[in-house]
Amino acid sequence: MPRQSVPRLLLLLPTATYRTAAFVEAARRLGVELTVASERPSTFQDANPGGLVTLDLSDPDRAAAQARAFGREHPLQGVVGVDDDTAVVAAAIADRLGLRGNAVVAARAARDKHEQRTLLAAAGVPVPRFTLYRVDDDARQLAAGVSYPCVLKPLRLAASRGVIRADTPEAFVAAFERVRRILERAGSEMRDASVSTDLASRIPHPASGSILVEDFVPGPEVALEGLLVAGQLQVLALFDKPDPLDGPYFEETIYVTPSRLPADAQRAVAACAERAAAALGLREGPVHAELRVNSRGPWLIELAARPIGGRCSGALRFEIRERGKGKGEMLSLEEIVIRHALGMELPVLERERQASGVMMIPVPGAGVLREVRGVDAARAVPLVEEVAIVAHPGQELVPWPEGARYPGFIFARGASPEAVETALRAAHRELQFVLV
Amino acid sequence: MNPAEIRITAEPIDTSRCKFVVSEPVHAGGVRRFASSDDASGSPLAEAIFAIPDADVAEVIVSGNLVTVVKRGPAPWQTVGKAVGQAIRAVVAAAGPAVAPKPAGPATPGTDDDALYERVADLFESQVNPMVARHGGRVELIDVQDAVVMVRMAGGCQGCGMADVTLRQGIEAMLQQHVPDVKGVVDITDHAAGSNPYFAAAKK
Repeated sequence: MPRQSVPRLLLLLPTATYRTAAFVEAARRLGVELTVASERPSTFQDANPGGLVTLDLSDPDRAAAQARAFGREHPLQGVVGVDDDTAVVAAAIADRLGLRGNAVVAARAARDKHEQRTLLAAAGVPVPRFTLYRVDDDARQLAAGVSYPCVLKPLRLAASRGVIRADTPEAFVAAFERVRRILERAGSEMRDASVSTDLASRIPHPASGSILVEDFVPGPEVALEGLLVAGQLQVLALFDKPDPLDGPYFEETIYVTPSRLPADAQRAVAACAERAAAALGLREGPVHAELRVNSRGPWLIELAARPIGGRCSGALRFEIRERGKGKGEMLSLEEIVIRHALGMELPVLERERQASGVMMIPVPGAGVLREVRGVDAARAVPLVEEVAIVAHPGQELVPWPEGARYPGFIFARGASPEAVETALRAAHRELQFVLV
Repeated sequence: MNPAEIRITAEPIDTSRCKFVVSEPVHAGGVRRFASSDDASGSPLAEAIFAIPDADVAEVIVSGNLVTVVKRGPAPWQTVGKAVGQAIRAVVAAAGPAVAPKPAGPATPGTDDDALYERVADLFESQVNPMVARHGGRVELIDVQDAVVMVRMAGGCQGCGMADVTLRQGIEAMLQQHVPDVKGVVDITDHAAGSNPYFAAAKK
């Protein structure tokens, strides 16, 4: 039976997340009582009513009411969302139950690309110039008034799905139509995946939605992983993205930390991210920010109130720098996030001394995956620690910008960022995806 | 057999657990689990893996052509895995058995794995498998050793994005409730080979 002294965490895990194992195992290592909440019921829910619950993750207010009812039977001491949508749900639940978390309005602002840019621009945080258009606007008319190069973005899709650069009016018109089709398809997928027709009917049709158009910001991109504690940003890691993200599509590939940016540029990036979080009203929990850096300094491209996505957190390990702790004891990013959410003591943390990196394996083409060859050879590359193929045989692979699923991840650690990057590229060259 | 002919695929599960798929049979007599170097005595493969320096090996599980290693040390799998591979090649290529047969009787005083196996098997048949069957899944009870249950997932569970939730919040919780003598559950599934997972990860 659960002991009263052991805190209970409500973990919001959508069924389509990559984050399940990392968070569930982190909760186990910390010895906390765990309740997993998903949008679809587990077949074990009746057998373990304290450990599993179904929440309407598409409706934060409704989910908060459901969580409060659940909490009467199983008192909750913390809540964690693992992605963009559940970060908003977590904020609503935290607000309703008096738990540590962000204000709902702040989480919503971080979730919506247009609202985020509006607030950041008003606060003087450097962001690209932007305009919001409706998807049923006349793209040919809009094209004449847009400055180039520009980037078209859906407001709420993840993993750069539907993000397209346009350098000319002709390219803009084509991109606008393509984003509109992607939004339609995404809306259909969401309705198809809904648990009930009631829920599906409340998902807005994407044709009534909007497309954000902003200036393309040149320069290398970095990703900052941080933790907000009472409004103060603790930088946990800064990743370089050594492959240029110049478009026309923005599929991510390699992240390597520590950053090779000069120290003053890194400080400017951190300061920019902290200002952005403050401008949005975020005060607690993980943040993942993407910024570009050029001669005018850092530009805030995106800031999300969640930890790094995919399986990329596997590239991060943190050494505990506390007296009495054994040498070599490490914490995962998920353990840090859970400890913070539950108000557990946060030890002094420093990312491990080794350089580390992850490659989100690019989609090799459109088709149905039959097999992946060369995995053993990829794993044998010096410094490579793991090659995780997450696409399963028979799965349809869809390239960006329509797609948003990486077929796998490669992890490496070594003495320097350069060595890690080289190892990731070498391992990737060994892989051969057979599609039909 | 020439050790060079033995092909081994390392599949790290996380920083502490890694599965090694071997091209040749390693142990045909069911599952053997070794929780210490003392347990490993008499089983050349387990002895060799526990002796790997700096790995601080905590557990070795051998079943068919699968060897699962759990380590406590911070050394990466890239390093430890090579040493495990060498140990597997050397032992499998040698003439004698890699792993000794499972000893008769309870391995640990106060526990009876055979009795636990029966109770766990009943629970799987009467409750666990009817539940996972609703998502096209199946959970096979492979063995119980030292009160640790070893399972393999199949069908919709194999490669499912929520498999860890099923394992920890479903199966393990039911075992705690119905067979409290069980000390833990180990999943030896090759999830990467799952071709029809019920939930597939899609979001960043």
